Amino acid sequence: MKVEEKLYTLRYKRDDEPHLKIKNFDVCSRCEKEYGTPQPCISVCPANVYVWDGTRMVISYENCVECGACKIACPFNNIAWSFPRYGLGMSLRYG
Amino acid sequence: MYDVVVVGGGPAGSAAALRAAKLGAKTIVIERGSEPGAKNVSGAMIRVNDLSMFDVKSLPYEREVSKVRLSFDGVQIEMKPKDKLVNVGRLKLDRWLASQAESAGAVLITKTTVLKVDGRRIVTDRGEIEGERVILAEGANALVSINSGLRRELKPEETVQTVKEVYSLSKDEVNKRLGLGEQEGISVRYLFSNPIPGAGFLYTYKDSIAFGIGVHMRSLISHRVRPQDVLEEVKRSLGINELVKGFSLREYSAKIIPENGFPAWRACSGNLFLTGDALGVVNPITFNGIGPAVISGYIAGELAVNDQCGSYESSLMMERTLSQAIKLRPLVKELLKEENIRAYISMTSDALSSWTSGDLSLDLKANLWRLTKHALLLLEAIS
Ligand SMILES: Cc1cc2nc3c(=O)[nH]c(=O)nc-3n(C[C@H](O)[C@H](O)[C@H](O)COP(=O)(O)OP(=O)(O)OC[C@H]3O[C@@H](n4cnc5c(N)ncnc54)[C@H](O)[C@@H]3O)c2cc1C
Ligand code: SF4
Ligand code: SF4
Repeated sequence: MKVEEKLYTLRYKRDDEPHLKIKNFDVCSRCEKEYGTPQPCISVCPANVYVWDGTRMVISYENCVECGACKIACPFNNIAWSFPRYGLGMSLRYG
Repeated sequence: MYDVVVVGGGPAGSAAALRAAKLGAKTIVIERGSEPGAKNVSGAMIRVNDLSMFDVKSLPYEREVSKVRLSFDGVQIEMKPKDKLVNVGRLKLDRWLASQAESAGAVLITKTTVLKVDGRRIVTDRGEIEGERVILAEGANALVSINSGLRRELKPEETVQTVKEVYSLSKDEVNKRLGLGEQEGISVRYLFSNPIPGAGFLYTYKDSIAFGIGVHMRSLISHRVRPQDVLEEVKRSLGINELVKGFSLREYSAKIIPENGFPAWRACSGNLFLTGDALGVVNPITFNGIGPAVISGYIAGELAVNDQCGSYESSLMMERTLSQAIKLRPLVKELLKEENIRAYISMTSDALSSWTSGDLSLDLKANLWRLTKHALLLLEAIS
């Protein structure tokens, strides 16, 4: 089963304001040169939120399961990471 | 003006609020989830004794753990737990913990995220409140604690990434497939070395089975492999796919586990108290994080009311469960180094099989000290 299908098991309420942002896209290009692909943020993310399109990092923040890994993995501290507002984002049934 | 403001309605936060409210302090808990537990992930196996500050008679557990099994490279060791262990679902557990804090008089606000604390001002995404003392019980992603300068962010080498799945079908099927009685539960711990080294865990809920893995973040980065792919590979190689065949996937989740923290990080400063995962008190061997979280929260609740930041750290160090978790850390760091673990797992399984066949090879004797250490750790894991 693909991760995108697994994410259907979660209840999501979307925050229109993205809670994850790349601070500086040029840094990601530098990161790709230094670390190759997949870059650290991609390697640790269990929800395929980060996709490198060859030149730019694309973020599907709506899929985030709020695990907290990417902000720690990024060697350049290039992710502005926060929680979705007002309890939005994903909710669990079991945990 | 509140006496005590608790940031986070997880186990640490609810224990802190319970204590503070019982001591008569005007207490509020601010939780970002739609309800306590909605954002929280874990095994979860807990030691009922650790939760004794709550009224455990009504603890909403799924199954009592009657067997603890360790499994690596085909070798299995099974033991009966000494203490009462139970499997719980976090949503039910966290709701229950929070409701006990509420019964003691604490106020709970949900769907609200604390953004920062500035002295007595607690700024949330819905406005500000004031509090004399603030207990930070935010869990592993402790943005407010880090923001306040009380501790730093984790590093990849101090962080375990976990992914977990819950499969459900029926109570009878769970019992049949795992050889369990009506209310009986099992908890299995696996060690694996492929595609990267890590630990797996299996727990039983009433009508479902939870399986997950924990791998070091540094390994994921250096091997360029994603946790979800490790999970699939491990499920295949350990036969989990067959075990859950016909079950439906009910939930997929992930969360980091901090493997460093107190006492390297300060537990208290001025009117701020850190607790639980925000402070970094998980026992890295037993995965016991909920126990240390409620214990540290409970102590923080009391000392916050009495404005005794000065004695918080020494009180934490003196507590048995917490000091055990802290003392294990260096040993674990050594044992779980990626270069050691592969050799280690195969050596231990060789050793155990030659041990049982009565042939203790020379090679094994040379490695006996390592084995002894591992044995100690295993004992620690189930005692
Ligand atoms: C996969 C996995 C398996 C585990 N297995 C076990 C196990 O079997 N047994 C065990 O004892 N432990 C286990 N643990 C560890 C255990 O889950 C944690 O140690 C424990 O939950 C820590 O409790 P806490 O209260 O400190 O933090 P949390 O449980 O994380 O609670 C923090 C709370 O604060 C809220 N919050 C965070 N930031 C804010 C904010 N800014 N504003 C408002 N609210 C906020 C969160 O929504 C959350 O409710 C496991 C962990 C994982 C990831
Ligand atoms: S790890 Fe950080 S710098 Fe590298 S690509 Fe990801 S976000 Fe960009
Ligand atoms: S927090 Fe976790 S799920 Fe969300 S983007 Fe980061 S790594 Fe992916």
